[in-house]
Amino acid sequence: MTDHVLQLKEVTKTFGSGRTEVQALKETTLEVARGEVIAIIGPSGSGKSTLLTIAGGLQTPSGGEVHIAGERITDLNEKRRSRVRLDHVGFILQASNLVPFLTVSEQLRLLDKVKKGNMSAAERDGLFEELGIEELTGKYPGDLSGGERQRVAIAKALYSNPSLLLADEPTASLDSDRAFEVMGLLKSAAVKKDAATIVVTHDTRLTDYVDKVYKMVDGTLRLEEEKEAERLPDERTEFLEPEEERDGV
Amino acid sequence: MFLAWREIKQNKLRFALITAVLLLVSFLVFFLSGLASGLAGLNREAVDKWQSDTIYLTEESDKSLNQSMMTAEKADEVEGGETAVLAEMNLIADNGEAKNGVALFGIRPDEFIMPKVTEGKPFKDENEVIASDYLRDEGFSVGDELSLSSTDEKLTITGFTDKSRFNAAPVLFMDLPDFQKIKFGQAAEQMEEGEETVNAVVVKGGSGEQVPDELEKIETETFIKNLPGYTEQNLTLTLMIYFLFAISAAVVAIFLYVLTVQKIGMFGVMKAQGISSGYLAWSVIAQTFILALIGVLIGFGLTIGVGQFLPNAVPVTFDYGLMAVYGAVLVAVAVLGALVSVWTIVKIDPLEAISG
Repeated sequence: MTDHVLQLKEVTKTFGSGRTEVQALKETTLEVARGEVIAIIGPSGSGKSTLLTIAGGLQTPSGGEVHIAGERITDLNEKRRSRVRLDHVGFILQASNLVPFLTVSEQLRLLDKVKKGNMSAAERDGLFEELGIEELTGKYPGDLSGGERQRVAIAKALYSNPSLLLADEPTASLDSDRAFEVMGLLKSAAVKKDAATIVVTHDTRLTDYVDKVYKMVDGTLRLEEEKEAERLPDERTEFLEPEEERDGV
Repeated sequence: MFLAWREIKQNKLRFALITAVLLLVSFLVFFLSGLASGLAGLNREAVDKWQSDTIYLTEESDKSLNQSMMTAEKADEVEGGETAVLAEMNLIADNGEAKNGVALFGIRPDEFIMPKVTEGKPFKDENEVIASDYLRDEGFSVGDELSLSSTDEKLTITGFTDKSRFNAAPVLFMDLPDFQKIKFGQAAEQMEEGEETVNAVVVKGGSGEQVPDELEKIETETFIKNLPGYTEQNLTLTLMIYFLFAISAAVVAIFLYVLTVQKIGMFGVMKAQGISSGYLAWSVIAQTFILALIGVLIGFGLTIGVGQFLPNAVPVTFDYGLMAVYGAVLVAVAVLGALVSVWTIVKIDPLEAISG
């Protein structure tokens, strides 16, 4: 077995047919390993969100294969794919993906209701502390700032111990300082939990935080930049020390 | 339940509104059902009190008591467990202070439809009557002398009995020979024994006996259904109640559907995270059930509460068994209304919720 959590093999996606046919994703092969964080950048409409949703099992590709945690999900029905998402995938979305009528801690309790094998209480408290949201557990999403909401969303995505973490423009609604801070926290938390992470963004400044940068142009994915692989996880997270990043929150 | 209850707690106003609608509808349903049984009682109470099984009328009467006329002799041909002859006419009774429409029953005191007296004594002498105690509420009392609308004869109330209304009029019970005088005046004096005219024979127990010529044997329930206006009135009220069921299903369906449409994004995100449609759908069902139950229970309490303060003139009788059934139906149709939302949830594509 490979340690690649996510494998896309010659995946394509076309919408429509005949004259209206649009090839949103041209043949794409991509592998992401545990603890690896990659960014996919590109203009809107370039197909990067399509790639992300295919990777998360939200839609099926027109061609090629998708494996998540060793399971080939391309042929599964929606119900089974839903199960794979629940067990293996964490989503962090552009707008906050929190349930408005649940407190921060209830957001996670909801996951306990539908799935086993989530974090223990101690792990969860550790994660909350790491993300700096341990004081917010009793609050509702409406009472949180945009940055706080995204940090809670990160906690929620990681709570179910996903092997694959998918973030779609996680910083879109934040100003630069908050964006860097959230990105830093996302990165360090994902690495600590050993999740394979894909961040889709149009914000090139965020690429400082990732191991590999891919660029998507017109449905074609191209490796843009690869950081030195020998950099140690500790070093990588050092300069994102949450305490410093959160100054002025 | 987890999601359902927390959402209700966080959005008290909007869920209070749904509950209020259900409360009002259930109040109306309970009240109409009370009115239906009250009005029905107004017509059939005296008949129910007999606890009879069958009633014999003349064939040509087409099941109408007033049109059925037979001699007492003919009536006595009827065999059965227990039989009782009944003569009936409608009059206005006046005690000098109050006037009231009454149904005058001519009966034999030794037969089973003779009522038990709850106040005063049974009739004994000429032109004495036992009156329905509804007349007491209208200002009549024991010892009152009643003048009548169609004759110079005067009646005297010797006692009251309970639960005796027939065709929306309180009943006066009197001895059959005296009744003949009221109805036929002078002619009654020439009548021989057995020539008295009666309208029906009421039978309790017994079955399969020979039906005498010219008579028709009908179930007591059939007799009641053929009382003037009874079936029409009941159907009208029942139809209104059924309509209310449909209305509450529609209102709940629309309300929940709007709420669900507002939450499509949220449900989509939850589905993207792998939370099953079943779990979300179940949550909406549970929510509806909680709200409907609360609404119906408050509506029930309100109905009973208001019922305590109603004047006697409002003919409302609460049949708790029937109300429980209607309450259960209301909860059930509300849940049925929620199925529209369930369908919406099942159809939500998490992809659209995320990329949209």
